[in-house]
Amino acid sequence: MKDGELGRVYGEGEFIFKEGDEGDRMYVIQSGRVRITKKTPSGDITIATLGSGEIFGEMALFDRLPRSATAGALDEARILSIDKKKLFQTIDRDPTLVFKTLESMSRRIRRLDEEFTKLRKSKIDILQIFVNVDETCSFILEEAKNFIKADNGSIMLYSDEEKALLIKAAFGTEWNPKTKLNAGEGIAGDVLKTGRAELINNVSMDPRYKKGSADINSVLCVPIKGRNTHFGVINMSRISENLFTIEDLNLLRFIALYASIAIENAMNFSRLRNVADEVLMHATMLDMLG
Amino acid sequence: MADPYVLENGSEIAVIGGGPTGSFFSIFALKMAKMIGKELNVTIYEPKDFTKDGPRGCNRCGGLISELLVQTLAVEGINLPETLVQRGINSYRLYTDHGNVFIGTPSHEKTIATVYRGGGPKGIIGKGKESFDRFLLDLAVSEGAIHNPLKIDRIEYNNIRPVLFAKGQRIQEPDLAVGAIGVKSRTYKIFEDMGFGYRRPETVTAAIAEISTHSSAITEYFGNSVHLFLLPIKGVKFAAMIPKGTYVTVCILGKDIVVNTVNNFLDNRVVKSILPKTETYKVNCRCLPKMNVRAPKIPFNHRVILCGDAGSTRLFKDGLGAAYIMGKAAAKTAVFHGVSKQHFQKEYYPVYRNIIIDNKFGKVLFAVTDAFKVHKALNKSMFRVVQKEQLEPSSQKILSSVLWDMFTGNELYKDIFRRAMNFPMFFDIFKGCIRI
Ligand SMILES: Cc1cc2nc3c(=O)[nH]c(=O)nc-3n(C[C@H](O)[C@H](O)[C@H](O)COP(=O)(O)OP(=O)(O)OC[C@H]3O[C@@H](n4cnc5c(N)ncnc54)[C@H](O)[C@@H]3O)c2cc1C
Repeated sequence: MKDGELGRVYGEGEFIFKEGDEGDRMYVIQSGRVRITKKTPSGDITIATLGSGEIFGEMALFDRLPRSATAGALDEARILSIDKKKLFQTIDRDPTLVFKTLESMSRRIRRLDEEFTKLRKSKIDILQIFVNVDETCSFILEEAKNFIKADNGSIMLYSDEEKALLIKAAFGTEWNPKTKLNAGEGIAGDVLKTGRAELINNVSMDPRYKKGSADINSVLCVPIKGRNTHFGVINMSRISENLFTIEDLNLLRFIALYASIAIENAMNFSRLRNVADEVLMHATMLDMLG
Repeated sequence: MADPYVLENGSEIAVIGGGPTGSFFSIFALKMAKMIGKELNVTIYEPKDFTKDGPRGCNRCGGLISELLVQTLAVEGINLPETLVQRGINSYRLYTDHGNVFIGTPSHEKTIATVYRGGGPKGIIGKGKESFDRFLLDLAVSEGAIHNPLKIDRIEYNNIRPVLFAKGQRIQEPDLAVGAIGVKSRTYKIFEDMGFGYRRPETVTAAIAEISTHSSAITEYFGNSVHLFLLPIKGVKFAAMIPKGTYVTVCILGKDIVVNTVNNFLDNRVVKSILPKTETYKVNCRCLPKMNVRAPKIPFNHRVILCGDAGSTRLFKDGLGAAYIMGKAAAKTAVFHGVSKQHFQKEYYPVYRNIIIDNKFGKVLFAVTDAFKVHKALNKSMFRVVQKEQLEPSSQKILSSVLWDMFTGNELYKDIFRRAMNFPMFFDIFKGCIRI
């Protein structure tokens, strides 16, 4: 510690207090950073990273409950601690001393409010997506694109009414939204029929290949399996010389597994809604007739 | 009709003196006014350049910032940077003629700061650090105060409004004039001459000297401890040696302090025994500043208030802590209540008087420490208890904490007194002192 430094130095990773401890002091960071973490069933999560001049550990002083989170030095941090008894004596003499602490607590609550609103919004967004088949497909394809670089991609689902594979979501230029493939037709139709995932490099040599608008080179095509049947495929393709690998194929199979669950759920939900609507309609009609 | 003594948007405040009290007043007045949506115009008149070395840039004190003040300022959001603090202190060593004892901070942290009020000792050797008074003045300016380097030499009332003069010229007619002038200049005359009954505080002369040696020698001999001496030297109540960068500040408080007191102190057997023997040391800078020992009876009138050393301060310790308390109390009254005599009487005076009452307990406690200087048996028993407390991690450290709070300015004298009464040995001495 240098001559001119106040407080106590905590080494990287050293704990200042732990969740559940009794709290008899609060802390003011003089230099360095402190991470506040909380235990959850799926591991520790960081709820804040605090820096120079910031106050922490004040909650336990005011609500007299055990520490609600763990505080640890993120890097070397120098911290001044303030004893509860002395602090309350000083506040008793001069209540305006809490202005600054209130300001910092208000700022924290405001930030939490914002995060809470964001969280609720994304939860609602996700709920909305997963009851709609088309949006579920777009969401899955977006996610797949984040994991596997590709120039084109699509999700096709088999329609019982049209007896053909229809495009539900797509990106890139290769896919014409009006494309319809019968079972067995083209690579996608064949994969639907066989239920085998395929990685095809040099695709122009493949007799099943039906040329689209772009000169594609490498293709991944993975079936989406339901409980009993295959009901769709995920396609991804590249124009460049950069070919897909076996790892890409395995990754896409994995994604397809989750996709099948999500899409089936969405399909069930919309079926259920149709049934419910019908029941409601009947009920209304009966009501009108009665 | 609206109260003419309530500050409004655009009201003007003149702060005379930009030492700690003037700066604390300004910082809090501006902060609090902002909280309630008012803009105040605060001008601080301070001719001293705190970046200068030696007494001309310095408001002359030991430069110890008490644990309580360090912590309270941190809670206020004012953290003392490493560029300001000469040394972080985590302990005291108390010397008497009969031995010495070590008392560590209860939290094992460096909770006390040593600073220079100005640019440092005359002809400062080595890299200087920031000045404490400058740091606070800069903070006040960053809150919105204007620093004007003029010396105010007269204040007159004009229709119950103060009018400020400098160099014979009328310069401002503020809504409030704050006297934060300390006790070290003759400026008290300005306020005495206003005729509302202010009389300067009673003072004693103290001595400060800066001794220079190598910084490694400072660490080796003084460590991160303040060394406190209760020695039977003529006229000396107590003395402290406060380690800083390459200097140790010697601070002597007492009754008949003269230039030679410092030499007498340094020649004392106990003091000599702890000074470096092989290293050479030199007295570089000395002064005999005045110290407030009794507060004025009337520290305010309509639109005029005196605070800090010019008003009531804590006896023999933590003057800077008192500067914070009183500067803030004046700011709170002015911003949240008003600036009439009645406002000050109702809101400011209780805080002012509390310090005066507490000092009465302080006087008794210091009488007790006088007794310690001469009583060998008393010394021995106190040392034994403290040593035992310090060695035992689980001990409650009651006596240690009484002494710690006494010398660090951590607690009101009243509370220390109450705790000390639990010790039979103190109780007996108190009885003795009170009988005297
Ligand atoms: C020997 C000694 C040791 C001390 N040690 C300590 C210690 O270790 N710790 C501690 O906390 N306290 C200590 N004190 C007390 C401390 O110094 C004071 O309490 C503190 O300085 C008070 O601050 P202030 O702002 O009221 O006055 P000051 O610090 O005296 O500041 C007053 C300011 O007003 C200015 N001024 C005066 N007249 C005019 C004018 N006419 N126009 C414009 N400006 C003017 C001056 O230039 C000065 O800057 C010590 C005091 C003494 C005497």
